[in-house]
Amino acid sequence: MILLKNATIIDATSTLNGKKRDVLIKNGKIEKIASSIENSDAKIIQKDNLHLSIGWMDTSVSLGEPGFEERQTLKNGIKAAAAGGFTTIMLNPNNQPNPQDQSGVMYLKNVTANQAVSILPVGSFTLHQDGEHLAELYDMQKAGAVSFYDYKHEVTNANLLKVGLQYTSSFNSVVQSYPQNKDIAGKGIVNEDLVSTNLGLKSMPSLAEELQIARDLRIAAYTKGRLHIPTVSTTEGLKLIKEYKKSSKNVSCSVSIHHLTLSSNELESFDANFKLQPPLRDDKEVKQLQKFLNSDVIDVVTSDHMPLTIEHKDLEFDRATAGTIGMESAFGALNNLIATDKAVELLTNGYTVFNQDRPQIEEGQIANLTIFEPDTSYTFEKSNIVSTSKNSAFLGKTMKGKVIGIINNKKALWNE
Amino acid sequence: MSELSVDNVLGIKYLTVEDINLIHKTADQFKEVINRPIKKVPSLRDITIANLFFENSTRTKLSFELAEKRLSADVINFSAAQSSVKKGETLVDTVNNILAMKVDLVVMRHPHPGAGVFLSKHVDARIVNAGDGAHEHPTQALLDSYSIREKLGSLKGKKVVIVGDILHSRVALSNIYCLKKLGAEVMVCGPATLLPKHIESLGVKVELNLKKALEWCDVANMLRVQNERMDISYFPSVREYVQQYGVNRELLDSLKKDIVIMHPGPINRGVEITSDVADSDQAIILNQVENGVAIRMAVLYLVAAKIRRND
Repeated sequence: MILLKNATIIDATSTLNGKKRDVLIKNGKIEKIASSIENSDAKIIQKDNLHLSIGWMDTSVSLGEPGFEERQTLKNGIKAAAAGGFTTIMLNPNNQPNPQDQSGVMYLKNVTANQAVSILPVGSFTLHQDGEHLAELYDMQKAGAVSFYDYKHEVTNANLLKVGLQYTSSFNSVVQSYPQNKDIAGKGIVNEDLVSTNLGLKSMPSLAEELQIARDLRIAAYTKGRLHIPTVSTTEGLKLIKEYKKSSKNVSCSVSIHHLTLSSNELESFDANFKLQPPLRDDKEVKQLQKFLNSDVIDVVTSDHMPLTIEHKDLEFDRATAGTIGMESAFGALNNLIATDKAVELLTNGYTVFNQDRPQIEEGQIANLTIFEPDTSYTFEKSNIVSTSKNSAFLGKTMKGKVIGIINNKKALWNE
Repeated sequence: MSELSVDNVLGIKYLTVEDINLIHKTADQFKEVINRPIKKVPSLRDITIANLFFENSTRTKLSFELAEKRLSADVINFSAAQSSVKKGETLVDTVNNILAMKVDLVVMRHPHPGAGVFLSKHVDARIVNAGDGAHEHPTQALLDSYSIREKLGSLKGKKVVIVGDILHSRVALSNIYCLKKLGAEVMVCGPATLLPKHIESLGVKVELNLKKALEWCDVANMLRVQNERMDISYFPSVREYVQQYGVNRELLDSLKKDIVIMHPGPINRGVEITSDVADSDQAIILNQVENGVAIRMAVLYLVAAKIRRND
């Protein structure tokens, strides 16, 4: 039994939104919500400014297992997710081997069953993610895959995306298409801007992303299939999506927190922790992206968590692998940028976007909750990282708000 | 001022105007030395220098080696072709292994931009960048600006056009920084495909027409077309490049003034410039090469001076 004392409830869909309540959790369910509850048997969580929302969901997470366990195991990934306040994470097919059939998805479901963090596997869209043949999408969905994605690989063949979107519409699944035209991107590893000019690094223009989004939106309009465009990083891209959403509802998108908070100026020291994919955009673009946060264009914000060992990161910039971890810093970075209720909304929209049952804060409901404190400012340091890999682009950055713990699947994990 | 503001020479952008002037002034003295019958001074006889060339180079390597030997330094050479890098060793491990043999100073050429900056954070030695990818080639820019100074007196208000492949060129980038710091006006000229889109933000003019660029300038620095750095085709053929961006006698004669022609080498005769231009009095290409040794002696001398002072 857990008793949360005097917690402010943040849930725009609930009549309790903004109210302070005591919440008693028993056997993994919300037993009672009242102005004051006394229970001497319960573990009492009492803190100044305690807040409560439905469990947060991260729609783009890579962990190392299977294949790259030295980066991050599933077990460690679950701890890191909990530290970041996430009760549900979508696991990218970014492993060795990748889930591309029923057994691959089942394996991930089985080894992560009944954990405090629910893991939703994303299946490969095409076999071996080489963009040639569709994987067995229906079979994977039955096994538990929530979406299909050739992780950060462009679907070069437009017809294949067309066919995939048409095919999945009969079983209501979501296809993700990485927004980057690889011909325009070329060998670019950073954004084409003043910084890349100064540093002599091979760059790609934001045109690479815009072109691909424009193409994919046309295909989505034609097929009426459910398309999700992950990790959009350009305002032109978001403008195209905004325009599309005026007339249709079959497209959603996510933006990574690092694209909303960090700019290519970070590259000046050639620190490979800032080598990301898509690349960090320039200052002006970051400010423009932030303006979209309070519109409905961005459906979800993701950490785009990507653990990498020092052997992949502490190298010459050209040779390093792209990616940053982000689950532990996600809330603090986002909440530093926008109002807490909006931050929570962007961290919980994933349920609806990916056709999952949205948890509810009501008596009798399963407890799937994130408990946090939104006002403390602190500097993000290595000691805040739970992930095995420490490749964070947020080290030294100011965070606002701390996660206290999560409750999900009859389990609770606390940060302190 | 008698010492550099930095411990490593990684790029012109990390140097102050005073640093550049100090290097030029020091180079004056070394230029006098290398024109003596005995071209050698004992300044660095207690210093060991490793030349680490992870990318092919002929003239820069020779120029550095000569500079080191004329300063009486002990010199070891390393090139990637015969190295453990090919066996998978990291840059930091490779360099630390060499430093464990008590090397004081590293001269490094590397194909990746920022390799020198990266290394400077990881190893305990002074580093002189001899070219890192398309980032910087500081000693080339120092010798280019020195050569212009020598020819025209001062750089203040002088107009310099850099012609050719600006996109892949560390020489262009370092030259832009250096010339601008010294008060010159800089223009870049070449096919639009070989000019970085944001190059104007560095405070340079952009001109696509070579004749107009040459009419504007006092000095034209002709860059080599770096086919080895191009992963796609940026222009249809060398023949067509020459038609638009090659400098020949006729073009020079059509200008109303005599401009100075420079080239960092190696020249593709008949491509960037024709032989009669390369061999003419207007060209200072061989002066650049001679000054290169003096400039590198100055840089090594000043960097080594900081080692002893800090110890």
